[in-house]
Amino acid sequence: MGRALRNRAFFAACGVGLLLVVAPAVALVASVFAKAAPAIGTALFTSPTNGQGGGLENAILGTLLLLVGVLVVAGTIGVGAGVYLAEYAPPRVAGPLRTLSEVLAGVPSIVIGYVGYVTFLQELHWGYSLLGGVLALSVLVLPYIVKTTELAVRQVPTTLREASAALGLTRTTTVGRIVLPTAWPGVISGLIVAMAISQGETAPLLFTAGYLDQRNPSLALLHHDVPYLTYVAFTDTTLPAARAQQLASAAGAMTLVLLLALIFAGRVLARRSRRATARMAL
Amino acid sequence: MATSTLRADRGRARIERARRRSELTPRDRVVRAALGVTGAVPALALVFITYQTLRQAYPSIVFNGAHFFTGRQFSIGNSYGGGTITRHGYHATPGAVFGIGPLIFGTVVSSLIALAVAVPISVGAAILLAERLPSRLQGPLGVFLELLAGIPSVVFGLWGVATFGPLLARDVERHLSDLHIPWLTGSIQHNGQGLLTSALVLALMIIPIIASTTRELVRSVPALTKEGAVALGLTGTESVRLVTLPFIRTGIVAASLLGLARALGETIAVLLISTNASTGYPHSVFAGFSTMAAFIAGELDGAFGDSTGMAVHALAEVGLVILVITLLTNLAGRAITRRLAGPGLPVGRGI
Amino acid sequence: MPLTLAVGAALALGACGSSSSTSSNTTTPSTAAASGSSSSTAPAGGGSTSVQTGNPAAPVTINETGSSLVAPYLAVLAAPLHAKYPNVTLASAAGGSGKGITDALSGTTQAGGTDAYLSNAQASQNPSFENIPVAVSSQSVDYNLPGVTGLKLTGGVLADVYTGKVTTWNDPEIAKLNPGVNLPATKIVPVHRSDSSGDTFLFTGYLTKTSPAWASGPNMNTTVSWPQVNGALTANGNPNMVQTCKSTPGCVAYVGISAQNLANQAGLGQAQLQNAAGQFLVPGPQTVTAAVQAGASSVPDNLAASLIDEPGAQSYPIVNLEYLVVNTKQSSPDMALALRDLFTFAIDPNGGASAALLQPEGFEAVPTQIVGKIDAALAKIQ
Repeated sequence: MGRALRNRAFFAACGVGLLLVVAPAVALVASVFAKAAPAIGTALFTSPTNGQGGGLENAILGTLLLLVGVLVVAGTIGVGAGVYLAEYAPPRVAGPLRTLSEVLAGVPSIVIGYVGYVTFLQELHWGYSLLGGVLALSVLVLPYIVKTTELAVRQVPTTLREASAALGLTRTTTVGRIVLPTAWPGVISGLIVAMAISQGETAPLLFTAGYLDQRNPSLALLHHDVPYLTYVAFTDTTLPAARAQQLASAAGAMTLVLLLALIFAGRVLARRSRRATARMAL
Repeated sequence: MATSTLRADRGRARIERARRRSELTPRDRVVRAALGVTGAVPALALVFITYQTLRQAYPSIVFNGAHFFTGRQFSIGNSYGGGTITRHGYHATPGAVFGIGPLIFGTVVSSLIALAVAVPISVGAAILLAERLPSRLQGPLGVFLELLAGIPSVVFGLWGVATFGPLLARDVERHLSDLHIPWLTGSIQHNGQGLLTSALVLALMIIPIIASTTRELVRSVPALTKEGAVALGLTGTESVRLVTLPFIRTGIVAASLLGLARALGETIAVLLISTNASTGYPHSVFAGFSTMAAFIAGELDGAFGDSTGMAVHALAEVGLVILVITLLTNLAGRAITRRLAGPGLPVGRGI
Repeated sequence: MPLTLAVGAALALGACGSSSSTSSNTTTPSTAAASGSSSSTAPAGGGSTSVQTGNPAAPVTINETGSSLVAPYLAVLAAPLHAKYPNVTLASAAGGSGKGITDALSGTTQAGGTDAYLSNAQASQNPSFENIPVAVSSQSVDYNLPGVTGLKLTGGVLADVYTGKVTTWNDPEIAKLNPGVNLPATKIVPVHRSDSSGDTFLFTGYLTKTSPAWASGPNMNTTVSWPQVNGALTANGNPNMVQTCKSTPGCVAYVGISAQNLANQAGLGQAQLQNAAGQFLVPGPQTVTAAVQAGASSVPDNLAASLIDEPGAQSYPIVNLEYLVVNTKQSSPDMALALRDLFTFAIDPNGGASAALLQPEGFEAVPTQIVGKIDAALAKIQ
């Protein structure tokens, strides 16, 4: 077989591979939205799930609550850790901490959920709680925030740091007023990634956040269940009402919509971050 | 000419350290300490999780011993009878038998099949995309891959049960079974639940990880090298085979390990698509099975009903096993891909 | 009968705005004797128990999780309950009987819905908990064999199916029970629940009582170690049992009565199961009530009773009490009151036990013979 022919055959095979990726993905997204279509209406957003169907109001609010919680908890800890690893940590400390953080990323989410149950429900007696769910999710996404923050901070040009030192600014002022604001878009895209992961998780929340039917979540941190979208997708197919089945797909569709929104926000910020750093290249 | 001696180097380092130390004001030190605490949190969380899992698993480790890994049946026992059985000082319900051989088998086999399917497809697709795709499509493509990477596993599971499984059962598995190849025959579940369907959905879930990493890797091959191949008159295929692939081979292995780690720890999608059959080894790719992670999620509620608590401890031991396996795999993968982080969804979520 | 009327009267009078916050502080220790609560809002009808009920002083929410068999019923119970006692809100969710028990025992929820009563071990480990029935449900065995109606099956045959000894529908064991019926040679596909389920508890209970091999093997529990059967399927929840069976020719599945409508719509056949007297029956108001009446007298004080395979020619074999597991020691008098409200309302023929609420689910009312025991158990909730 001629070389040209082999060349074409190879790339054709690659094309088949690409098709095998794109087609199922498109089919999946399409089928989720198709199944969710009958459920779309204002009722979807204004009434909570109620065991027979209802709407997604409580699940959406609950998911958003959890995301805010993850932003607060994992966001502050993760950004702090990332800055520490990039700016303050001596190499002998930074290496092991970084490795352990990456190892944490490999823990299966069901193990996190189980440990959450044992710790928050059995030992601390919090009951199903918002705080428990937030902590479980935070542990899951923390390594990603740490890594992206560290990367973003490292990418700030050294010239800025040197200029700052030349001006006699302390390390903290340098980091707080110059480095971090410059790295901020990169940091935020890491936070967005964390939220994208969090909103699609089920296993860590099953045993820590419980689920709340028929009512919207309260802001109470403990002893109150929190509803969330992936739970509706996971369990509503086991309920008899036809509306419930549609709701399961609608919840899945909702997570995809949230995901797309977060992806686009991330892209916009990444573009702005690249432009900002390019402008600063001296 | 002054040649640096080791002693002079160390002296310079000492001065450097002193200079760095003296540059820190008291406020700097406080901030450093505070941030140091946050820096330690991931490590502490990891230690805590491992500790809790070990502690919860310990009674089961003692009670079950090696039989845990070779046994073919996992049964909580007869809670509605009476009495307890005792072994090595720990109690369990009569009739309780904890063996996870089929689970280990199911986890490893489904993940390996997923990997075997995902790697060629990902690498092929990534090469095509990096080498042949017009640049204006690269942006939307990145979005597409991130979308695929971010789809919740419960959505994959529901799609697998409702759409993909039946499709596979109807159009693929039935014909495959007619060929009477060992391991590819056997009764087909009409809803497609089983080892093959799960492995294929797993493959779909790990393809974005491997594909996006490979794409970055291909783009990172120095332009000069690629241009050299063109100058020598190599076709695209030969250039890939002789130049690009050897260059990025280690990276592909690392990405594959990351994908494998994700497949091993995948819980919800498998729970929905496998038949959660935990007794006995599957005899064909169409048979029902279960994986360790899915098993824990599915059985935990029922295990709480065991008043001796041994069922929960046994599940904790399953968790320990999966924890160890995925950590080792993930560590190997990450050690190699550390440099390759980019904007967007990261490669490798251990779900 | 007089008991129910008394309870009904107590409830009717209790609903008219009461000083219940003070009444709930006086404790009436157990006993079915009509000591009559002092400042209770309801005068006890001649000699019968009155359980303190009434609207709590502050809004109270009862959180419940558990059995997916009883969940639809609890969902429709919430609104009329709230209408009667405006400060009481019932927030129910499904999740499986196993989860229901666990959540209740751990204090995560105030009530755990379960088709399975507490085991001896669970009860002895948690002495302050009790399981109180709110309704009677049943389970049918459905199959997918187009053209074959009214198939007769026994527990022994079903046990053989689920252990893989009987693999085709025209097996002699099944043919023997169904003379004259044209049974195809289709392979039998047994379906079982993958979640921790009260339906599994009931079905395996029936198999345990009718098949010695099953009793010494998997036995009965909310989740058992199902023998490996080539081609067996699992499903999560009752609707998925129906769905799986519908799309699998030759399947057999156990389906809770509240999902039987779905099964009928899906075109599944309903098997006639053999009871202890040798009769083949389907679940229906008469056959279920017959089983309940037969078993009512042997319900113990702690209300943990199996109604599987009750004697009597008309008794359907798979019948059970739907329980809510509650803690008798409540932290707040308001919550205790709310719980008592919930139960008394559920078993009140004018309230939760009315045909309008029960029939759509296929449930029956709790037998009047045990209302006294229920009241005694309720009085303990403080």
